[in-house]
Amino acid sequence: MNPWLLFWLLLKASLFSTSGTGNVPILHHDMLALGWASDHTFAEALAIGQISPGPTGLWVISFAYLVDGIRGALLAVVAIAIPPFTALGVLIFYQRHGQHPAMQGFVRGLTLAVASMFLVVLVRIMHQAGIDWQSLGIAGAACGLTLSKRIPVPFILLLAGGMGILLY
Amino acid sequence: MHHVAMGPFFRAWARIGLQSFGGGSTTLYLMRQLTVTTHTWVSEREFAEYWGIVQVAPGINLLGQTALIGWKVARLRGALIALLGLLLPSISITIAITALYATIRDNPVVAAIIRGMIPATAGIGIILVVQMLRPSWQQARNEGRASMLGSMAVIIGAPLLLALTTLPAVLLLWGAGIVMAVLFWQLRVRSGDRS
Repeated sequence: MNPWLLFWLLLKASLFSTSGTGNVPILHHDMLALGWASDHTFAEALAIGQISPGPTGLWVISFAYLVDGIRGALLAVVAIAIPPFTALGVLIFYQRHGQHPAMQGFVRGLTLAVASMFLVVLVRIMHQAGIDWQSLGIAGAACGLTLSKRIPVPFILLLAGGMGILLY
Repeated sequence: MHHVAMGPFFRAWARIGLQSFGGGSTTLYLMRQLTVTTHTWVSEREFAEYWGIVQVAPGINLLGQTALIGWKVARLRGALIALLGLLLPSISITIAITALYATIRDNPVVAAIIRGMIPATAGIGIILVVQMLRPSWQQARNEGRASMLGSMAVIIGAPLLLALTTLPAVLLLWGAGIVMAVLFWQLRVRSGDRS
């Protein structure tokens, strides 16, 4: 695995997204095209990202570890640490041009596209893992529990893991 | 700029990195408590303004927020130390959990646990998608029919193109941004013509 290319793909995905999981569709497209990761790897990393401390965006460190070991994880750390500094430039730019309709429209389009494209990745991950009544039940229950906000997300995942032992 | 000793400043951010189990909302809550309530490194208004800025800045929102607060406190040094403080414990724990997982992932019990977790991750992800779409959709409804139709075209068109074509995801994202930028600009021009 070429570490420079891996670093570039991680950095590019981070630079062209505006949230912790916004990089999923871009990375998913690039990594699957290269054959460096599978839907299963994404699912594993996203799950670990949810139960680890800090922003959920750190899922990408777990992902890079799974595809390239500790070297990949360190490359991911650098790749996610660079873009936040562009926020300083965005702060200045936004204070000057943030009210321009084209700027507002661009941000709106980006936000809508990132969110709706993430749905495609989720469907692919589910499909690859195998869709059956049990998995649909767990997904539905996770939706309901997340909506209720009564149980923290890491506990929902731990519960789902327990269900996995019982059902599979 | 504030006169803050960098040792305690680093440790304060590291504590957030250690305690913030539960994802972004926990981290944001702890960050606000530290920087607005406990210390007055930023005002309530600045904290909210920064949070708006990082929604459109590249990368992880919470890291952008950390960089902006660190910058306010001690310019580049503050931004670097705040980011390092927040990330060092979180990253170490994330790598440790992943490394442990990588050694036992072939175990049938672990495989069953992950098999249960995958649909749950998808379920949580679907709620995340809805939460991400809702504010923009509500804004579009308030803006009128043209904005709603444009938003709907992006919400349906972008995932369809991703699923059915080999177009790069980055291109689709930029395409969606440009389409909506042109639409908003045209709407403003027309409303200007009428007034």
